[in-house]
Amino acid sequence: MFVQKGDIKIITAKAEEIRINQNELALRLKTGREYESELLEKCRKRFNETVSYRCACIRIPVDLSEENVCKFDFAQVHSKNLYRNLQGCKEVFVLAVTTGIAVDRLLARLNITSQAEHFVTDGLSSAAIESFCDYVSDILSENLKCASRFSAGYGDFSIEFQKPLLERLSAAETLGITLNSAYLMTPVKSITAIMGIKL
Amino acid sequence: MKNIRELIKEKRVYFDGGTGTVLQKKGLQPGEAPETWNITQPHKIVTLHKSYLKAGANILKTNTFGVNRTKFLNYAELIRKGIECAKKAVEEVGESEKYIAFDMGPTGKLLEPLGDLAFEEAVSIFADNVKAAAECGADLILIETMNDSYETKAAVLAAKENCDLPIFVTNVYDGTGKLMTGANPAAMIAMLEGLGVDALGMNCSLGPDKMLEIIDEFAKYSSVPIIVNPNAGLPEVVDGETVFNIGAEEFSDYMVQLAEHGASILGGCCGTTPEFIKKTIEKTKSMPYECPTYKDITMVSSYTHSVIVDKNPILIGERINPTGKPKLKEALRTGDLNYVLNEAVRQADKNVHILDVNVGLPEIDETEMMKKCISGIQAVTDLPLQIDSTKFETLEQAMRIYNGKPLVNSVNGTEESLKNVLPIVQKYGGGLIALTIDEKGIPDNAPDRAKIAEKIIARAAEYGISKREIIVDPLALTISSNPESAVVTLESIRLIRALGVKTSLGISNISFGLPQRNLVTSTFYANALQSGLNCAIMNPFAEEMMNVYYAYRALNCLDTGCVDYINYASAIQGVAKTDVKSEETLHVCIVKGLKEGAVTQTKKLLESISPLDVINKHIVPALNEIGTAFEQKKAYLPQLLMSAETASLSFEEVKKKIPKDQTDTSKAIVLATVKGDIHDIGKNIVKVLMESYGFTVYDLGRDVPPEKILECALEHNCKLVGLSALMTTTVPSMAETIKLLNKTDKSIVTMVGGAVLNQEYADMIGADFYGADAMDSVRFAEKFYAG
Repeated sequence: MFVQKGDIKIITAKAEEIRINQNELALRLKTGREYESELLEKCRKRFNETVSYRCACIRIPVDLSEENVCKFDFAQVHSKNLYRNLQGCKEVFVLAVTTGIAVDRLLARLNITSQAEHFVTDGLSSAAIESFCDYVSDILSENLKCASRFSAGYGDFSIEFQKPLLERLSAAETLGITLNSAYLMTPVKSITAIMGIKL
Repeated sequence: MKNIRELIKEKRVYFDGGTGTVLQKKGLQPGEAPETWNITQPHKIVTLHKSYLKAGANILKTNTFGVNRTKFLNYAELIRKGIECAKKAVEEVGESEKYIAFDMGPTGKLLEPLGDLAFEEAVSIFADNVKAAAECGADLILIETMNDSYETKAAVLAAKENCDLPIFVTNVYDGTGKLMTGANPAAMIAMLEGLGVDALGMNCSLGPDKMLEIIDEFAKYSSVPIIVNPNAGLPEVVDGETVFNIGAEEFSDYMVQLAEHGASILGGCCGTTPEFIKKTIEKTKSMPYECPTYKDITMVSSYTHSVIVDKNPILIGERINPTGKPKLKEALRTGDLNYVLNEAVRQADKNVHILDVNVGLPEIDETEMMKKCISGIQAVTDLPLQIDSTKFETLEQAMRIYNGKPLVNSVNGTEESLKNVLPIVQKYGGGLIALTIDEKGIPDNAPDRAKIAEKIIARAAEYGISKREIIVDPLALTISSNPESAVVTLESIRLIRALGVKTSLGISNISFGLPQRNLVTSTFYANALQSGLNCAIMNPFAEEMMNVYYAYRALNCLDTGCVDYINYASAIQGVAKTDVKSEETLHVCIVKGLKEGAVTQTKKLLESISPLDVINKHIVPALNEIGTAFEQKKAYLPQLLMSAETASLSFEEVKKKIPKDQTDTSKAIVLATVKGDIHDIGKNIVKVLMESYGFTVYDLGRDVPPEKILECALEHNCKLVGLSALMTTTVPSMAETIKLLNKTDKSIVTMVGGAVLNQEYADMIGADFYGADAMDSVRFAEKFYAG
């Protein structure tokens, strides 16, 4: 078998290590930051029992010698936005993070039993994966100066690059992330990103 | 040369080690597919194979891991060349007992229902590979690095259906001992042995040290040889080079321990080299070899875990069976899968172990409905299922698409049943419920029922289905017409258990036609357990039954420290406590979202006032209060949703009191997320709110084509249609839908909503109304019907 994962680093975290960002959560639930309820607590507890945070990432060079083209070892990306974002970088982190497939199953189940719990858990999972992504970014960028994260699908950085990016990270094997024909990821609460390292 | 099926029973054989990681050292570039070297640099592949053969490996994995028709147009050529390389290596080394395993990895796609690769499409992709490999003379099929049980099943079926070669399967377990999609070793062993594979085990991801933590699970449950192909530990980057952290010496020491714990076939995966295999062979070849023996364990499984039928009583939820359940019948007729799924989840919440699924109605396509239900239920609960049908075709199709090893209900002693059911159980694997009935009917005495059981056991053995798979149901008939029925059935259980098989009963039948049925049923259940009953198909909502179950376990040393019993008992007390809350008025219950309280209060109100008054004077004012609070931003959406769900439960109670012909269906709406869009959260929120306000909602789901929406509106003569879209890319399909509706029937009014929309957009695409939030939509719909 062959999985190109020699240089791939795996980062995991327990549910209790990830503080779900209150602002993100309030945004998703369309509530104020102060919002607390039995419902939210119940959903949070169950989500924490279900989630399995996992990240795969690599640190690789980027060649920006041609204008508006970012050359990585897995793809050449024609994108003005990404090119601008990576100005001053010679290397990047490429990463993918996920909450794991059990969260998808939980959401499918709640979609049948309770829209209130489904809505809240969906919001919690979205806020949680953003928070985990921040957690990973903090670990990676320690002692480094990094550009802000940039994902396929933002601006003119085509969503189609999800495919080579996930393949480069062996994401099916390392994280269980797969793409459907519309380039949407399963597990649904997954994020990929490129984060430039400014030298 | 000896057939490898025999060889692995007699002696320890060895796989080769890593391919890709070795080729990298020989110049394979990042992103370059190693399989292409079968054509461009075959000599390097041959050399690699030869180095493993010289190290002592018996089985070569062909360099075809990532090959399939979705990735390579020339997949057949890559397979042929790959096998040729291996053959050449075997010829040149010229030793005996060398085998070529056609190596088949995952597709990289996730199967439905969570992903978008259809099960039969996956089978077909693997089938093309297997056909090509079998033609080129591979000695066995190795399905490896599979991290999903469902995809593994698709691959095994493809292999079984397209060649007669031995099938070996290894899965990827993570540090917690599970596959990426959740299965543990016992679940995989249950499924794979059911499918009849020749050897099974684990590879990749973990080093031998971590596999040592899981090997005992394999040794405990597996009746076939166990394969262990670990990585050379974990990869690390040192000076820009990838190295694995366990060397050949340490690796082979671990392999000795793995062999001691029951690993039968040893080899390596990523990072291992011929040296690793050589050292492993040197250290293990003189160790005594014991092939795993037959395990007398009755197991069924889902895609996460197995259920073992043993001393602990097994509860099989009976609620998904239309007999005597008008609501379920209606749901099956109208194709309302949500109702079925809800019944599944509700039973799962009662801690049953297995769910029976029976969707037999003469007026529907039972096979199609069964497949939909199996797939749907497996998406919302991880309990193993009991596939229940009298139609052989339905059983077979359901067993085929089931993710895991199901329980099959049922075979009986008639010739017709035996000759139709046993072959499909032989093919797909499954626990088998065997009814003690034959051409002459159900015997009126226990010895004759046991005789039928013996006959079924013997016939099953002819198909290679062992005793452990058979669970005999000696049939409980109601005591209201057969006074001796309970006595005969209990005696039958004792006789049948003595035959060395497990037993099951559809327990509820015993009290049919009697008042206070649960009293009789639960007492009978206690007696049956005492007589040795293993499984009960029962109603988990009958408290008396659950009382017996928990008490029996506590009394029979099956519940250490009575922990489960105590939890159960306190949960019952907890329910009593929530009723205290229900002293609140219905109004308050709805506003606060107190579900149990609302149901209790609704029932109370219905004793004194008319159903319509309950709606107009209590439910609607409460909903309006929370709705207004939401609009004034004094309450949030989660609160509004809780109130809406609570009101819907209250509505359900009220509806029971309204004669069916007087049910008001005039307030109705068709709801759909438009074509191309799979986000339905906003649409579902609107649905809950609409229902709580008493609207009849025709919910078409997500990704719905315009024609289907029009068809539904016309069929129900519904003039209000709500459309949702969440992605900018799907707004055009919303516009297309509105155009079609307007063109066909000008009186249809459309309302739209969703994250990407605003008033301007809505106007542009010709919608009649734009709802900024769910409450907005309800207000508009109310106004629409108020004229």
